[in-house]
Amino acid sequence: MKYEAALAELQTIVRKMENDELDIDQMGEQLKRAQQLIKLCRDKLTKTDAEIKKILTE
Amino acid sequence: MDSKRHSLFELNRLVRESIECEMPDEYWVEAELSECRESRGHCYMELIQKDEQTATPIAKASAKCWANKWITIRPYFERTTGQQLHAGMKVLLQVYPQFHEAYGFSWIVNDIDPTYTLGDMARKRQEIILKLKAEGVFDLQKELKLPKFCQHIAVISSQTAAGYGDFCNQLATNPYGFHFDVQLFPAIMQGEGVEQSIIAALEQIYHLPFDCVVIIRGGGATSDMSGFDTLALAENVANFPIPIITGIGHERDESILDMVSHTRVKTPTAAATLLIDHSKSVLDAIDDMQTRITSMLQLKLSSASHQLLTVESKIPLLLERKLTNENHRLLLLEEKLKALDPTLLLARGYSITLHNGRIIKDATTLKPGDKLETRVAKGVIQSTVTN
Repeated sequence: MKYEAALAELQTIVRKMENDELDIDQMGEQLKRAQQLIKLCRDKLTKTDAEIKKILTE
Repeated sequence: MDSKRHSLFELNRLVRESIECEMPDEYWVEAELSECRESRGHCYMELIQKDEQTATPIAKASAKCWANKWITIRPYFERTTGQQLHAGMKVLLQVYPQFHEAYGFSWIVNDIDPTYTLGDMARKRQEIILKLKAEGVFDLQKELKLPKFCQHIAVISSQTAAGYGDFCNQLATNPYGFHFDVQLFPAIMQGEGVEQSIIAALEQIYHLPFDCVVIIRGGGATSDMSGFDTLALAENVANFPIPIITGIGHERDESILDMVSHTRVKTPTAAATLLIDHSKSVLDAIDDMQTRITSMLQLKLSSASHQLLTVESKIPLLLERKLTNENHRLLLLEEKLKALDPTLLLARGYSITLHNGRIIKDATTLKPGDKLETRVAKGVIQSTVTN
């Protein structure tokens, strides 16, 4: 379930970027967050539960 | 009264002949099968008629179909209805009566009309469908959504069926590298016991954290679908909390199970395709967002750099203007300075008088005898104050 939340958060970030709702400082940190979420979701699709657990605890 | 004694054989023979004489024709009879078994190529049946209200039997008879007829009747029936003759079915049979001295009475079956059974089957199915709709459960599964990250799959299938193997194989070798966690819950997928074993499997799955259930059956299984048309099974599936995909593999009309499940597919491999495509659409959405972020970023960067360039190009001009202004000021100051030069005043006939090196502007500060130095345009005059 929380991966669906990650997708939703990602969609919000993209929307805010496209609507110019972020200033320069926010852009930087939101960009980083977005990249994290993208990697998280991609991993969820292609890795086993054990591998994901390992990644998250690193 | 006839006090002559007969042998049993003779009496039975009498009955036999009477029947052969009085009822030489064939008749079409509607009846319910309460028993149906095969022995040495012949088919032995028990026919029954129940009272519609009380369901108590009001008529019963044996029926037989000899091997020479059964050999064509059986496949004809199965082809048309997709089912084997079994107890509980309503049938329309063409029969003639036979009373045998030793074996008693039986109807002998010559022909069958499978469309009658079909009609009855369809009626029963309609009843079940209406019941499910009345319970409000018919569409419950359709309201569920397949989770976006659908990777823990519970499969109900026969262990030995090729369908399961194909399904797993296709998931494991998908071209996008998606990972799926598949667990098999074996069940009987044809004949008797289908309902109970699938319900038992669902019971087990209910307590475990799966994303969806897939019920599949390999193609090539005989099309005995009756097990999938029961009310109890449909209710279990309809009320199940996670989406159930059914791929029981047949070309005929949907079974009731197919109607109440979340999605119906034609084959086990189609079920695998569905799951792979579903994950692909999620991946595509992620990739799309990645692309939008990247292009947004490039846009912002290029617009910022554009602004920078514009400002940059204005600077030389501004600088130049500033320099020109300052130059001009300097020039003005220079002029002013020049105008204030004392030598100009001297040239016009004014003189500067000094006493002890100091410029004198007030004559009353002098006393007679003071030595004065007067500077004029040309030269210096030494003088003394007389008064």
